[in-house]
Amino acid sequence: MQIDFIAILPEIILTVTALLVLAADLALRGDAKQFVNPLAGLGTVAAIIATVALWGSERVTFGTMYVVDDFAVLFKLLFLGTLLAILAISWRYIAEHRFFQGEYYFLLLTSFIGMLLMPSSRDLIMLFIALETVSVPAFVMVGMRKRDLYSSESALKFFLLGVLAAALMLFGMSMVYGFAGTTDLVGIAAAISGETASVPLLLGSVMLVLVGFGFKISAVPFHFWAPDTYSGAPMPVAAMLAVASKAAGFAGLVVVAFIAFEPVADVWGPMLGVLAVLTMTVGNLIALQQRDLIRLLAYSSVAQAGYILIPFGLARTGPGAAVVNAAAIEAVVFYLIAYAVMNVGAFAVAIAVERRTGLRSIADYAGLSGRSPLLAMGMTVFLLSLGGAPLTVGLWAKFAILEAIAVDITLFGIVLAGFLVVNSVIAFFYYLKVVRTVWMDEAPAGLPQLQPGFNLSAVVVVLMVGTLVLGVLPGLVTDFSSVISIVAAG
Amino acid sequence: MSPIGPLLLATFLFCAGVYGVIARRNAVLVLISVELMLNAVNINLVTFQNLLYPGDPAVTGQMFALFIIGVAAAEVGVGLAIVFNMFRNRASVDVDDADLMRW
Amino acid sequence: MTGHDVVFVLVGLLTAGGAVLTVTSKNLMHAALFFAVTLGGIAGVFLPLAADFLALVQIVVYVGAVAVLFMFGLMLTRAPIGREALDGQNRGLAMAVAGGLFVVLSTLVIGAFGDLPTAEVTGPRIDDLGIAIFADWVLPFEVLSMLLLAALIGAIVLARRETGESGEELTVTRIEMAQDRDPDALEREQAALTSGSGGDGEEHA
Repeated sequence: MQIDFIAILPEIILTVTALLVLAADLALRGDAKQFVNPLAGLGTVAAIIATVALWGSERVTFGTMYVVDDFAVLFKLLFLGTLLAILAISWRYIAEHRFFQGEYYFLLLTSFIGMLLMPSSRDLIMLFIALETVSVPAFVMVGMRKRDLYSSESALKFFLLGVLAAALMLFGMSMVYGFAGTTDLVGIAAAISGETASVPLLLGSVMLVLVGFGFKISAVPFHFWAPDTYSGAPMPVAAMLAVASKAAGFAGLVVVAFIAFEPVADVWGPMLGVLAVLTMTVGNLIALQQRDLIRLLAYSSVAQAGYILIPFGLARTGPGAAVVNAAAIEAVVFYLIAYAVMNVGAFAVAIAVERRTGLRSIADYAGLSGRSPLLAMGMTVFLLSLGGAPLTVGLWAKFAILEAIAVDITLFGIVLAGFLVVNSVIAFFYYLKVVRTVWMDEAPAGLPQLQPGFNLSAVVVVLMVGTLVLGVLPGLVTDFSSVISIVAAG
Repeated sequence: MSPIGPLLLATFLFCAGVYGVIARRNAVLVLISVELMLNAVNINLVTFQNLLYPGDPAVTGQMFALFIIGVAAAEVGVGLAIVFNMFRNRASVDVDDADLMRW
Repeated sequence: MTGHDVVFVLVGLLTAGGAVLTVTSKNLMHAALFFAVTLGGIAGVFLPLAADFLALVQIVVYVGAVAVLFMFGLMLTRAPIGREALDGQNRGLAMAVAGGLFVVLSTLVIGAFGDLPTAEVTGPRIDDLGIAIFADWVLPFEVLSMLLLAALIGAIVLARRETGESGEELTVTRIEMAQDRDPDALEREQAALTSGSGGDGEEHA
């Protein structure tokens, strides 16, 4: 069997980087240890170059197990871009506090290797291994503030719920294998069409498989871990879980749902649609009551996962389904890109504020505009964009979902659109509450001026510019995502 | 041999695991219950492989089971380390004591 | 009934019994030992199913390593013994959920696979397995090796006594919950904090 090494070059580069980081950590002493961070950054840039070179080609290797098409490349670029931002916001945070630095960066890179594999996998076993490669390092990273009660408690919750979700998913996968006789996604789709598609056990198993991904994207009712884990974890890890790990879950969900389970889309489509409504409503309502900024961002990210689930609710099978499904995938990809830009930005600002003062409740953001105009501007832009304000990318992301609904208007689609609009309005309440605190409230006396380091400022500025530029010219990304969806649905 | 026997045994083990996950309070015992569920999955996979699809040159079912065993071992290692760390900080491994955060 | 069936029924009953005792036993160490018996039973189930290699792996990895690891875990955490300390108040709920799930799942399984004819058990030869893992499944195999390395390093990071190599101790997080917590919980947290950061770490490490 011939192996196409070019196709897996980004993963290989990241693996080599991870091992180099581990070796460099052994060689370096004391303060010099922090320089494993730029080393990891260099590896990431190399992986980005290798990934960009794959754009436009379609490579299939390892039998049919591994496919690199534009859909996969777009997701990989999303992950690697996020990794670069997370490395930048990690540097000072990890170097200034008591952490095992080399091990932290090694685990971070390993987790991203799993993510890169996810959108390319076309086999249940491969998807399972990729999912676990994302999760296992994340379990450890959440608990890395070792003497902090919150950190160890959130690691325990995250771990137990994670392995439970994995066990449920595996039971479903084993049954699907029983019906199909293969774990190849295309083979499964061929095997379960026709009569088999209505066997109750198969439908139940499909649901169980989706549970595993539902956990990763923190959809209701598997969202309990998210707020606790985000607030207990080191902040860069929280940003990673909220953005990259969630995007990886969605990548896996797209692949497994739209390729393997396409013949039963009429069953899981409406189920995921209902789940989307529950997720965004529950997330938004609980977010309204939060006093801690990270917990607010956590519940807001639960709600955002609900929005991203809406296109899955539109999925269907049979004649004419390909157009609808393609539009749905396109909306998911575009929303994820927009979500990554604005949410990493929000976490970057939160890190900048917490790093000096250790303060993180929303009240501590009072008068941020006076203490650091850049951070205040950034927070405002990111939160407004998460809410979906005009001139930001958030608005276009919501439009992309409405556009997918409009491809073939059904009653269920209209209901979903209604919930999307109502929820967006609710969400504005808590986003604006924070923005008002930042600009209107008087800063408590004695708080120092904030001077974020170069890396953090650069991340905030780049993401802020990205949010606004894409808000004016969404075509920069939508053009790409319309190319990819057709490939993925075909 | 009929596949239904092993499949029912797997279902039973899976449900015993679910019982343990809900009823147990000790984090290590919860982890043991999850391992029971994973073992049930392995019985399913081997049964399907050797009774329903024996001719498969890629031996998919048994390979899947092997991968699950490997991943489960990794999970147990990480999980016990997490439980240890929690025990050092709180002197308890009771999941009901993990209650610092609500809402 | 063939010989295979007889062996399967006997070992299967042993396994199922072991599983029940694992999740209900009042004594921690007993639970872990019953778990080892269940794992051994599953290896026994693999034999009449003609999965010899998997049975061996099951014994080496699960009975040999995982079960022992669990026993170490239980002994090192010196958890209290006794049913009330081990089981929460949810035993009834757990029984209902697990029982209901079993009825539903087994009905579905019988409905889907019950009418399949009995077949001759034919397992792959061990060289088939070897070729398959390094030809068809080489990518997940390599990724798994990376995952195991990450798990190894992660477990060491968390289990060793030092909190980190450089930098200052993190300030302990104070998270404001949406709803005010009862003062009791705060008090307990304080107590745990002082005992946790005091001599406790040395003692258990």
